[in-house]
Amino acid sequence: MSNPYQPVQAKILDVIEETPNIRTFVLKPEREIPFLAGQFVELTIPGFGEAPFTPSSSHFRRETLEMTIMRVGRATGALFTKKPGDLLGIRGPYGKPYPLKEFEGRDIYIVGGGVGLAPLRALFLALTEEKKKYGRIFLRYGARTPKDIVYKKQLKEWEKIKGVDIDLSVDAADEPWERKVGVVTCLMDEIPCDVKKSVAVVCGPPIMMKFVTKKLLEAGFPGGSIYLSMEMNMSCGLGQCGHCRLGPYFTCKDGPVLTWEQIKDIEEPFL
Amino acid sequence: MDAYFLPNHRCSSWLASLAGRFNLFYPREVDEAVHWQRYDANDFNIEQLALRKIRAAEPIKPFFFSPRERVASFPEPVEPETKMKPTLLFGVKGCDLRGIAVHKRMFLEGEFADPFFAQRLNNTILLGADCPAPERTCFCNLLGLKPFLTEDVDLSLTVIDDGWLIEALSERGAELMQMENGLQKATDSQIAKREEQRQKAMRILKEQNPKDWNPNLAQAIADKTADKRFWIDAARDCVECFGCLLTCPTCFCFLLYDQGNAERFERSRVWDFCYLPMYARVGGGANPRARFIDRFINRFHCKFMHSKNQNGFYACSGCGRCFSTCMGRIDIRNILGQL
Ligand SMILES: Cc1cc2nc3c(=O)[nH]c(=O)nc-3n(C[C@H](O)[C@H](O)[C@H](O)COP(=O)(O)OP(=O)(O)OC[C@H]3O[C@@H](n4cnc5c(N)ncnc54)[C@H](O)[C@@H]3O)c2cc1C
Ligand code: SF4
Ligand code: SF4
Ligand code: SF4
Ligand code: FES
Repeated sequence: MSNPYQPVQAKILDVIEETPNIRTFVLKPEREIPFLAGQFVELTIPGFGEAPFTPSSSHFRRETLEMTIMRVGRATGALFTKKPGDLLGIRGPYGKPYPLKEFEGRDIYIVGGGVGLAPLRALFLALTEEKKKYGRIFLRYGARTPKDIVYKKQLKEWEKIKGVDIDLSVDAADEPWERKVGVVTCLMDEIPCDVKKSVAVVCGPPIMMKFVTKKLLEAGFPGGSIYLSMEMNMSCGLGQCGHCRLGPYFTCKDGPVLTWEQIKDIEEPFL
Repeated sequence: MDAYFLPNHRCSSWLASLAGRFNLFYPREVDEAVHWQRYDANDFNIEQLALRKIRAAEPIKPFFFSPRERVASFPEPVEPETKMKPTLLFGVKGCDLRGIAVHKRMFLEGEFADPFFAQRLNNTILLGADCPAPERTCFCNLLGLKPFLTEDVDLSLTVIDDGWLIEALSERGAELMQMENGLQKATDSQIAKREEQRQKAMRILKEQNPKDWNPNLAQAIADKTADKRFWIDAARDCVECFGCLLTCPTCFCFLLYDQGNAERFERSRVWDFCYLPMYARVGGGANPRARFIDRFINRFHCKFMHSKNQNGFYACSGCGRCFSTCMGRIDIRNILGQL
């Protein structure tokens, strides 16, 4: 029986400054972490502890692993002092991946907010790698200001892909900005896919997910086709410690992505 | 398997010989309370072996799931200790087993089994003892458990006047019985005596817990969840000391906690408690159960709704430790009885 609490070493190859408080860490783990888009890992910042993060890179390339991380507190604060060459620990992958088989043949409507685009990038890269399997891919992304947009360069590249449709918004444009201004739901007044046959995938802060879900339901998406990334407190990641309980689910093993259908009746304040 | 009889004058020596092979713990009466104690030949007298009493003040949980345990380290990894002398818990009660059942589900049956828990459980012999005299705090009967053991332990023991009736319930138990040559096959009248004692204990439990609960507590709690008034009343006398969670044999929550520096660190697993305000807090400070009342309800969801729906049994043993220890004297039976 192997020890699931023991992390493997991972070397930081590169640190990419995405926004003033979001960085992408490119890691080379000692042994390959066989993740699939939507799964997460527990990242150890030696001496500080662990926190859960979703790889943002393509699951078709697993020798290195990218994670896009926002600095919010203790562990992420310590992580932001790390440089290329420093060592971290990783254990995982944990949780259920996006059910890509079920996505096949359908349009995919992705809505991201802030650093929530990180897990969605892994999904986007997995989808575009095998584009023929899926319908059109729509990506709607909102950030606070133009400075807070992650993956600026990649977004430009992705817009050029055939069958991909991207729209962006910022809550406030404090510098020249040619696109929409407003919270991300302002990009959703018209949903250009057949909602009954498409899937919607949402990741962002809880308040954003709440309003996006409302819009999606109003537009006619069935609750079972709306996939939400639930951020609950996680410690073990293994379905043992109890922290991530959300109603009958352990978010770490039944999620972190759950459908609206699964969670809509849970009494707890979760969104 | 058949029951055997060990006469009183041989009991001490059997215990001593078991203590030679195992790390033996037994329930000992100390100032009117029962506590688990490590066997020490120089400080043992069979009178102190509190087999006829109810469960010890503390649950057996820490024997398998330590309040604090090193589970990983860096750069040298940690593996479970395998050279430990096996442990024997002499005098486990029916309610003690519910804790093990819950922990087995949590720690062993998922995709990632916990090798530390597995190692300790494998390394432990359980000898169960009947409760001939349930006390006011006992309500195992309402949770589908019995005040005596007929399965899930290695050996089952009943104290009768002139000795012990012992029955092996596993192969490990049978082996231990073969080591003792003072055992005689139990007579019909001895077995009848055991049965009589057991029925009497069941009667006591029934008499002191006369009210039958809602047959589907899980559904009753689900239906009651939105009635915040009910829960606020139920929690009124709670002073948030967390004693109920600390003493509960079925609670399993833990936190992984790292200490050290970039070159060398250790990871401990420490018990955690869902009543703590920080328990569910996420990065950046949002907290889905910031109010105590939501955390209070969560405990009932966990024990009586989710566990029942997912495992088929309640994560409660009826041991009564939570209200024996409660500063607010909140008796969980009253809350469950109102559902
Ligand atoms: C499945 C999943 C995937 C995620 N993916 C990403 C991602 O790709 N990118 C990203 O930026 N973020 C992601 N997050 C969020 C990220 O995990 C959090 O932002 C991170 O945990 C914050 O850690 P921190 O220590 O810096 O924050 P803090 O706010 O300091 O603490 C966060 C956690 O530490 C614990 N904690 C803090 N203080 C205390 C205390 N006093 N006592 C006890 N416990 C305490 C709590 O468990 C709390 O949830 C993800 C979260 C989940 C659940
Ligand atoms: S609750 Fe039942 S099994 Fe536990 S000590 Fe009381 S009578 Fe014995
Ligand atoms: S909830 Fe109370 S009665 Fe039930 S197992 Fe825990 S301590 Fe015992
Ligand atoms: S033991 Fe009683 S007072 Fe203490 S937290 Fe539990 S219910 Fe509240
Ligand atoms: S993080 Fe421990 S149970 Fe989910």
